[in-house]
Formats: sequence, structure tokens, C-alpha cells
Amino acid sequence: MSQLPNSIEPNVIDDEMVQKAIEEEYPEDLRELAKIDGINFKEVTELHLSFRNILQIDNMWQFESLTKLQLDNNIIEKIEALETLVHLVWLDLSFNNIEVIEGLDTLVKLQDLSLYSNRISKMEHMDTLQELQVFSIGKNNLTVLEDVTYLRRFKNLRSLNLSGNPLCHDEHYKLFVVAHLPDLLYLDFKLVNDTTREAADFKYHDRIEELEQEEAEALAQLEEKQAKQKELEYHQTAFVEHLNGSFLFDHMFAEDTETATLADLPEVGELLQAYRKEFVSVCENLFNFGLKEYEKREFEVSNFHGRLQEVLTTNQQEGKKIILDFENESKRRLDEIDNTRNQDLVASKRAEYKEEILQLSEVLMTLEVQLADQMEELITEFAENIAAIVSTFIENVKGFMTQCQDLENHHHEKLLEICITMLEISARNELDEDLPAGVRELLKDKTTIVNALNTSHSIRLRMIYKRESDIRSSTYRWQRSVMEKAFQDEIDRNRDRVKEIVQYIDNLMEELHTMEMLDLLE
Amino acid sequence: MDVLEEKEEEEQREELKALDSSDNLQDVETEVSEEQVFVPSDVLDFDWSSIDTSQLPSLYHTNSLKEEKLLLVAEHFLQQYSHLCPDRKLLFLHPVNECGLQPSKLYSPTTILKYQRGNCFDFSVVLCSLLLGAGYDAYCVHGYATRQMCSLDETLELCPLLMKPQEVPKYGMKSRIKPLPDQQSMFELQQEAKKKAETEAAQKNKGREEEQVTEVGKLKRDPWSGLRVHAWVLVLSGKREVPETFFINPFTGNSHSTMDEHFLGIESVWNHRNYWVNMQDCRNGCKDLIFDLGDTLRWEVMLSGSNRSLQQLSDAEKEKRFPDRTMDDMQEKEDMSLDMPQSWVAPIQISPREFETRCSQGRKVTLYKQAKLEKWAPYLNENGLVKRLTIYADSDYTEAVEVREWFKNREDLLVMREVNKQTQVTTDYFSPGHLLSLKAHSYKSLEPKSEHVMEFYHEARVDGLQKRVEDVKEMTEYFVGRDDFLHVRQTVFGKRVKKVHLAGTSIDSSRPIVQIKECFHRNLEKPADEDVAERIFLITEETISLTYHLKDKYITASKKDLFKAAEDDRRGRETVMTPEMCIIYEAGCPEKAKKLLPLYELLQELTKEEKQLKLQVQQSEAEVLNILEIRKNEENDIKLSVSMYNTARSEMRAHQYEATNTIEDEFLGQKEQGQDYLAPFLIQIGYREKMTKGQALRVRDNCLTDLKHRLINKVNIIQARFEKAVEELQKKEQWFQEKRDQLSTEEEGDFLTRYSEAMFHIHILALRLNREKQVAPQKYLALEEKLRKDPRLAEHLGHA
Repeated sequence: MSQLPNSIEPNVIDDEMVQKAIEEEYPEDLRELAKIDGINFKEVTELHLSFRNILQIDNMWQFESLTKLQLDNNIIEKIEALETLVHLVWLDLSFNNIEVIEGLDTLVKLQDLSLYSNRISKMEHMDTLQELQVFSIGKNNLTVLEDVTYLRRFKNLRSLNLSGNPLCHDEHYKLFVVAHLPDLLYLDFKLVNDTTREAADFKYHDRIEELEQEEAEALAQLEEKQAKQKELEYHQTAFVEHLNGSFLFDHMFAEDTETATLADLPEVGELLQAYRKEFVSVCENLFNFGLKEYEKREFEVSNFHGRLQEVLTTNQQEGKKIILDFENESKRRLDEIDNTRNQDLVASKRAEYKEEILQLSEVLMTLEVQLADQMEELITEFAENIAAIVSTFIENVKGFMTQCQDLENHHHEKLLEICITMLEISARNELDEDLPAGVRELLKDKTTIVNALNTSHSIRLRMIYKRESDIRSSTYRWQRSVMEKAFQDEIDRNRDRVKEIVQYIDNLMEELHTMEMLDLLE
Repeated sequence: MDVLEEKEEEEQREELKALDSSDNLQDVETEVSEEQVFVPSDVLDFDWSSIDTSQLPSLYHTNSLKEEKLLLVAEHFLQQYSHLCPDRKLLFLHPVNECGLQPSKLYSPTTILKYQRGNCFDFSVVLCSLLLGAGYDAYCVHGYATRQMCSLDETLELCPLLMKPQEVPKYGMKSRIKPLPDQQSMFELQQEAKKKAETEAAQKNKGREEEQVTEVGKLKRDPWSGLRVHAWVLVLSGKREVPETFFINPFTGNSHSTMDEHFLGIESVWNHRNYWVNMQDCRNGCKDLIFDLGDTLRWEVMLSGSNRSLQQLSDAEKEKRFPDRTMDDMQEKEDMSLDMPQSWVAPIQISPREFETRCSQGRKVTLYKQAKLEKWAPYLNENGLVKRLTIYADSDYTEAVEVREWFKNREDLLVMREVNKQTQVTTDYFSPGHLLSLKAHSYKSLEPKSEHVMEFYHEARVDGLQKRVEDVKEMTEYFVGRDDFLHVRQTVFGKRVKKVHLAGTSIDSSRPIVQIKECFHRNLEKPADEDVAERIFLITEETISLTYHLKDKYITASKKDLFKAAEDDRRGRETVMTPEMCIIYEAGCPEKAKKLLPLYELLQELTKEEKQLKLQVQQSEAEVLNILEIRKNEENDIKLSVSMYNTARSEMRAHQYEATNTIEDEFLGQKEQGQDYLAPFLIQIGYREKMTKGQALRVRDNCLTDLKHRLINKVNIIQARFEKAVEELQKKEQWFQEKRDQLSTEEEGDFLTRYSEAMFHIHILALRLNREKQVAPQKYLALEEKLRKDPRLAEHLGHA
């Protein structure tokens, strides 16, 4: 399609091509300067690769900060290797040989996408491009007018070009598009006027209403799902997920066929119901306690960060003031040195200045040591508080879980009792005739049933224990990570500050040195 | 003593009547006068016998039957009262009104408002009437107060305009700035706290001492203390959402708490419904009084039937009581539950004009503690001045420290002017809407080269300029809410270089700029070390230095110093940027190879901005000059604006406007429209709808003759004046010639000026005479023409 008559070899994007393209971006007089600087692909924001006979896109992974990419008028057949360009806002792939829209999922910031003059027959794989404002897909192979509804998901879409597609031959083409994309301002580069809009509304009113309802329902469902997900996440951070209900209980009995069979016995059924009720209520208590504890932890953490921030800010102010004072002083001093003619005097003043720089270094370092001490104190205190909170939490969880175990034990005893009674009845052959066959089977042999019950009892106990240990381990994990982060942050901070001071002092020294050198040269 | 039998009035609608000159009444009167009821000084000068009561309606002069009855009741009450409480002052029941005899009368609000004079009783009655009319539960109070209160002496009071706002927030601040315990040793902290506490205590002590001192000053023993009779207004809580019972001093209109120590005691209270005598102990002033007028133990009531105060009466009850009374008058009399008759006072009317004028002559002066407050009615002063507060350093009002003036309705929107007498700095404050959003302007003079501080309504300005401080060397501008986060721009000027200007070139008034410094707030969209906090353009040194905002947790700011290459260098060589052209310190980024391209771009950008900045500074300077010019013009020609809702004034205004523009037109117009020039002549012939030809001709001739006479008269008068003036001049000249030698130079000079004046006068007269002679025939012809066209005469004269 866009093949030039004098086309040479088809190309793949390589470093050399890119390098050249970047250089061409600069105005001529600055090109030299740019070369001295060296080009860092990571910092390039715009790239023009038009008319280069490119067949395959490649080597784009380094352009992390690219926002605009032009690949028009090539012979590209497949959209690929663009996944890393997540900051892309503007992408031009017009006049190529693309057949399928794909590989754009990660480009969530894309606002302007041109696929004009390609061989695309379906609009698809673009669901993540929620920022899309301008979309050009004219002169392609789109045939089904209905497919335009796909574009309804782009709430920011204002300009659309579809001209030159087979679907445009439909007599209702314009009205259909306008009706289905009510926020569209420009269609095929022409302003959508009110008359058209009204006509479209009139014609497709019912259809659109239906569509809107469907979408609203879908949206509501999605939102509900998301809300649920969010709540679950919240519960997870509190380590009590799925405890607000019968989840654990149901889980305990999920694979326990014997109990399920036995539940057909009227007494067992009742017992199970009572057990379930109590168990769930304990779980719920635990759940609520967990949420409360979570708030406590959060409060402690934010409190810690708040105090940390306060200390840091005060320290920063102090340091800033010291530096400011020094700089004002040094300015005066340097002026003085400049104005002194006597070489000896200059030398002595310089020495004085040097001394002062060293002193400044001393002062700043002392300040930092003080700060580090304060921070350490804060962190230690924080660690203690967190430890206290965590141990209380674990203690209490254990308490709740013991309640659960007691309930289980109690239930088990009761169940055994009932079973033994039933066995006795069964032994006397006085069993109810309407009992299901499974139950009758079970009640045949004492050893079998006792074994079965014991096994499922121990399984359930283990499950309860496991839930407890889950909570414990994730709590400890959380504690560890919080503390590690606090320590690490402090270490990083300390290191940064020391580095900063050293660098600053070095800088001052160097400045002084340069001046000396200049003097000597004169 | 017939007059005394006439109806007399206590308060507004309430009425209490005098009996014929009972001794009791006499007593009340003497008591009152003895007890120094304060009368404002201008009232003293006022001759009360000059007031005219003849125009008051007959209700003011006569007592109705019911009123007579009430007087009887009052007399009874009084007798019982004096019997039961022989030690107490007599009640202020039924004084005479202005139609009665002097002294000690209670004037009706009608008269008080008319003359705008009165004593505390008069004032209270007026105020209380107004409050009752507006639906408040108000009462007049007869009691005792301190000298300051009674004599309208506010010289010990702080002027309300000078009251400092409550200092509560300050304390809040203090607790907020508490230093962090982590940062300082506890010992230091404690020491500091101790010190602070000490100083605070010391200050407090000092304050207390001062207070005591002033207190002592205030309480110069007043020999009359507790004996000074005063009247004021009591407003009870409940009605019209009044949350708390309070007093109003009728002289100042200030409200006071009932606990105020200036009020020393209450004899009685009354309003249009009843008269209550206070039975509570007033040894502690009014502090402990309980104002539940329904409590008969505390408040003895005169008309027991209407015992309860109004607020306790439900409408239903009221209705019930009315029929009772009308149906069975007799029974009521026995109950002594006589109701108060309708007031005889005409409804109080205050015209909008009087309301606006407020004080008599629209002017009032109040002396406060070391301050004098003057007030004027709006439009009284031509410059719109309505209020002036002068603050003095001493209590004798001699050494003015500060003068504050308030203005109203000024077209230049000036609302207040503060003059600091010590620094000679004047500050003008403007309401929103002034040109270029000027809000305040401080200056020593309106001349351009002096110091100026101008504040602006920054919300209304595109550039967000909030304040501009200018003096000879510097101009600092403060901005608020700008998109580019700029908040301060400081320009330092060099010495004005005297340039030789070629003829025709415009004079360059701007000063050379040495340095421009700009400070920016943090723009959170940028990383801190790319967000410039301060940039300084050292224009003479061709250097630009940038300081960036501090990165989080860092204490050193990144910096860039850029040196501009000389022009020749730039053009001559390929390289446009060399590493030597800048010094960079980047906090937290150990030495990286400097990238030249971004620096080059930065420098380009900054150079461009520097140019724009220079322009901007020049514009600012021009703006200052412009504002000063405008202010000067405004001050030289002060205009007052009139609201379109102020119909009276705006019409007047319109008239004045027309008058100045088209005096002559209006004059003629009035003649034409306002007066019928034919009227006197038509009357002569007994004008009816129709007139005969003969009559018409006569009218015409009369009219013309009249004009002729007048014109001739006018000429004659001018002629006579002219001749007289000439004669006098000749005489004088003669006298001068004769005595010339004896005259001193001074007298001679005097003569000469008078001589030239006389000559001028004669010259004018001559001119007028001439003009009159020329114009007279024209006027005659014009009238003739007009007569011909007059519709009344036209049909007879048209073909004449």
C-alpha cells in the first residue's frame, strides 16, 4: 500500500536508525552540543520514524519516557514491541499494513491513536485505552456497522474517523455512529451538529436506551464486584478474611461425608445447627476484634510516621538555617577575598574560610548524629508498641480459637454420644425404617463410625489450628516488614544525609580550590 | 392649676396622670431636680419655654375620662407607697407633659424628636417607644447611675473603634507552637517554661496593677455617687430573639449587661402597660436584681389587673380579658384592674432625611479616653467625610498621634484614611472597584519619587498582585494565587543615569535595573530539584542564579549559576554552551557529567524571561505613576456618588447636573412651561376660553408694551449705574489729584487698585449697556413673533 516505488530493503528498527532519527530531532546548530552530551534513549520523549520502510518494530524497549511516536508510512504488518512505552500519549501507525489491532494493552495513557489506512477488519483489544480522545481508523476494512458500539467504552473519545471503510456505505452510517457515541464532537473530521444529533436520537432512541440499561447493569455488577474485592482486601490486611460468616465452618465440613450423612439423623441435624450458630458467632467476634485491632495498628503506624515527619521537618529547618547562614557569610567572605590585594592576606583568609567549611561540616554531622539518635529512639519505641499490639492480638486470637476448639470438642463428644446411642438402637434393630441407607450403613459397625468421627474431628481441629496459625504468621510477617521498612528507611535516610553533607562540603572545597587555581594562573 | 389637670404623660403609650397639684407630685419634681438629672450642655442653652405646644393635637392637652380614672389610681398607689415605704424616694408617677407647667416635665417623643434635645428621661421615652413599636419587650427605667453614665462622659471609656479584638486565638497559637519534647532536653524545656511562666505572671501582675491604677483614676470619689438619677431602657429577653436581658443607655445607645457596675440602682420601671416599683435591695447596684416583673414580691405593680408582663400573656388570654373589661367596667374598677388607656401621643414619625441626618445639625462629637470621635451625616461634608477619630497621646486632647477618617459615597471609593502624625505617613483604604484594584495606599506625599506602599485586591487582578512597596532604590511586589507560583519579585535599581537626550527623543523615566529577584512557592507537580525556589537576575553582571526547592529530608538546595556568554562569542563560535558557563550544585546527586543541551535551553529560556521581566518592571513603574496621577486628580476634584435608590438625592443630583450644563435652556424652558407669560394680561381682560379679536389685540399690545417698558427700564437702570460710576470715579480722581502729595505710598497704591477696579466696573457697565441696546429690538421682535404663534391669539393675529 505505502510501498514506495523505489523501495529498498524492508527494514527492522535498529539502534542506528533510532540514533539518526533522534539526532534529526535537534535543530542543526544544537546537534553538535547534543552529540557532546551523548544521547540517552531513556530520556527521549518524541520519536519520528516515518517513511523508513520499516517492516518490523523492534528495539523500542529503552524508550521509557517516550510520549509521542510516529511510525506512519511504513510497511509494518504487526503491532508489537511497544509494550514498554507506557507513557505514550500519541501513536501514529497510519499508512501501514496492519491487519489486527493488538499489543496496545499496556499503553493506558494513549490519547491519540491513528491506524488510518491499514487492513484492519475489526475493532478489538483496546479495552484498556480509557484515555483515548482521538481515534482514526479510516480507510480500513471495517464492514460491520454494529461494531461501532465497541467504541462506547471510551468515555473520553471526542473525535473519530471512520471514513473510507466499507461500513460507511450503509445509509444510516452517520446517524448510527452519532446515536451510539453521544459524546462525539467530530466524526470524520467534521463537527457533529445538533440537527444530526437530534435526528440520530430520534431514530435510535429505543435501542440506545436498551443499550444504556445493559451497560448500567454491567457497570453496577462490576462496581459491586470491585467493592467486594476491596472489602476482602481490607479484611485481609486485618488478617481476618472470611471470618465474618460461616466460611470457616462450612470449609470444615466441606469434605466430611460421614457427618453429612449423619446429619440426616434428626438429633445430629439439630446439634449441627446449634454448633454452627455458636461457631459462627465466635468467628464473628474474632472478625470484629480483628478489624478493631487493625485500626489500632494503623493508628500506631501513622502516629509513628507523623512523629517521624515532625522530627525530620524540624531537623530540616535547622539544617537549612545553618546552611543559609553559612552561605550568606561565605558570600561576604569571598567578596572580601576578591577585594584583597595582598597575597599573604588572601592566603590567610582562604585558610580561614577553609577552616570554616570544615567547621560547618562538623556542625552538620553533629546535627545528623543527633537526629539519628532521635530516630533510633523513635523507632525503638515504635517497635515496642508494635510488639505489644501484636502480642495482644495474637493472644486474643488464640483465645477465640480456643473457644472454637472447645466448641468442636463439645460437638464431637455430643456426636459420639448420639452415634453410640444410635448404635445401640441399631444393635437392637430398632432403627427407624425411613432412615437413609447411608446412615444405616454407617451405623452398622461401631469401630468404623468411631474411627470416621475421630478422623473428621481431628481434621476439623487441625483446620481451626491452621486458621489460627495463618493469622499468627501473617501478623508476624506484617510486623517484620513494618519494622524492617522503618529501619531500612532510617538507614537510607542517614546515608543520604551523610552523602549530601559530604558532597556539599566537597563542592565548597572545590570552589575554593578553583579560585586558588585561577589566582595562580593569573 | 387647670393645666395640671390636663393629661400628662409618662411614657409612650403608658399614661399616668397628675392630680391637681398634689404635694406629692411637687415632691417628686423637686426630688428629681435636686438629684441632678443631667442635661446635655446644648440642652441647657435651649430655651424650653420657646417650644410651641399650640400645634399639638388636643389629645395632648386634655385628659379623657379613663385617663382621669387612672390618675386617681396612680394617686392612690402613690399614697400607699409613701405610707409603706416612707424612706424611699417618691415615685416618678404622672409627671406633667410639655403642655403642663415647668419644671420637671416629661416631654412627649413628638416634641423631643422635633427639637432633638432632651434629658435622659426624654431620651429613654423615645427609645423605649421605638423599641416597643418594633416589638421588643422594653421598659423605661428610673434609677441611679454613675457620673459618667449620667453626664454622658465617656472620656474614661476606650473608644469602641479602638477596642482590640479578643486575644483568644493568640493563646491557641501558643499551645500549638509547643516545641517538640524529643528535640530538647527536658531540663531546658522546664527552664524555659518556668521563665515563660514568670514573665507571664509578671506581665499579668503589671496588667493588674495598671488596671488598678486606672480603676483608681476612674473612681475619683464622686460626692453624688448613688444619688444621681438616671433613666435608661431595659429590654427583657424573649421577644424578637433577644437572648438575654440587657440595658441600653439612651445617651449613647450602647447596650450594657444588667451586671454593669455603672448602674447603681432601680427605683421603678414602666412602659405603656404598667408601672412596676422595685422592691429589691440595690445596695450592690443592679447586679443581683431579678427582672421577673410578674414576681409581686420583687416588683410592686401599680395596675394589678395587668400584673403580668406581656410576654406571659397568651393571645387567647388577652382576648378573653378584653370582653371582660368592656362588659363589666364596674367590677374592674373594684378590682383596681384598670387597664392602661390608649396613648395620646401621635405616632412617632422620623423622615428618611432626619434619619440620615441623625444628630441635630448632622454632627456629633464624642470624647473618649485619649480619643475624639466626630461624626457627620452623609453628604454633609463635601469630601464625603462621615467620621473622624483622633487619637491623642495625652488625656487633654492636645497631642494628636493618629487621625482616622471615614468617608462615604465617594466616587473614588475611598473609605478610610489613616494619618500617622508621628511618621507623617498617610494610608488610604479603598473599597473594591477602584481603578487597578487599589485597596490601600500608604504615602508621605503623592509625588512619584517618594516611598509608596500600595495594596491591591489581588483577586481582581490578572497578575495576582497583592502589594507593591516602592522607594527610590527598590521595588518589591507581592503576589498571591498565581499559576506560576511566583510570590515575591524584588527589583533593585541603580542610580538614575543622567542621559543626554536628543531633541525629540522621549525621556526615559525608568531607572536602570541592577537586579531582579523572584521567589516561587513549591509546585508539587514538579520534583523539588527541578522546581525553582528563587532566581536572581544580576543584570549588570550578566549572571543568573537559580536556587531550587529543598528535596524531601534534604538540607541543601540545588543551585545553578549561569553566566551569559558575551554576544560576540556566541555569534563567532560554533559552541554555544561550554561547561565553564555554569556552576552547578545538585544536592544528593554526586557529580554527573553536565549535560550542556538542557543548560543551553535553560539559559535561552531565562534570557528571554529576563527581557520580559525588565519590561514588566517598567510597566509596574508606569502603573505606579499612573495611579499617583489618578489619585492626585481624584483628590483635587472630589465627587460623591448617589445611589439610584436614594431617589430624593439622585433627583437633586440630576437637577444640579442639568443646571450646570444648561442653565439658559432651563431658564427659558421654565418660563415657557412653568409660567404663562400671557397670564397677567389675560387676567386683565378676564380671560375665558374664547376671546374676541379686540381682546386679543389688546392682550398683544399690552404684552408688547410691557416688554418695551421693561427693556427701557433695564437700559435706564444700567445707564444710571454707569453714569453714577463715572461720576464717582471722576470725584475720586479729582480728590486724588488734589491730595496726591500728602498720600503715603500705601494709600496711593490703595487708591490705584480701587481706581482700576472702578474702571473695570465702568467698562463692564458700558459693555452691558451697549449689548442691551442692541439686543432690545431683537427681543421685541421675538416676542411679537411668539405672540403671533401663540395658540390662544393665533386665530386673531395670524392674518394681522
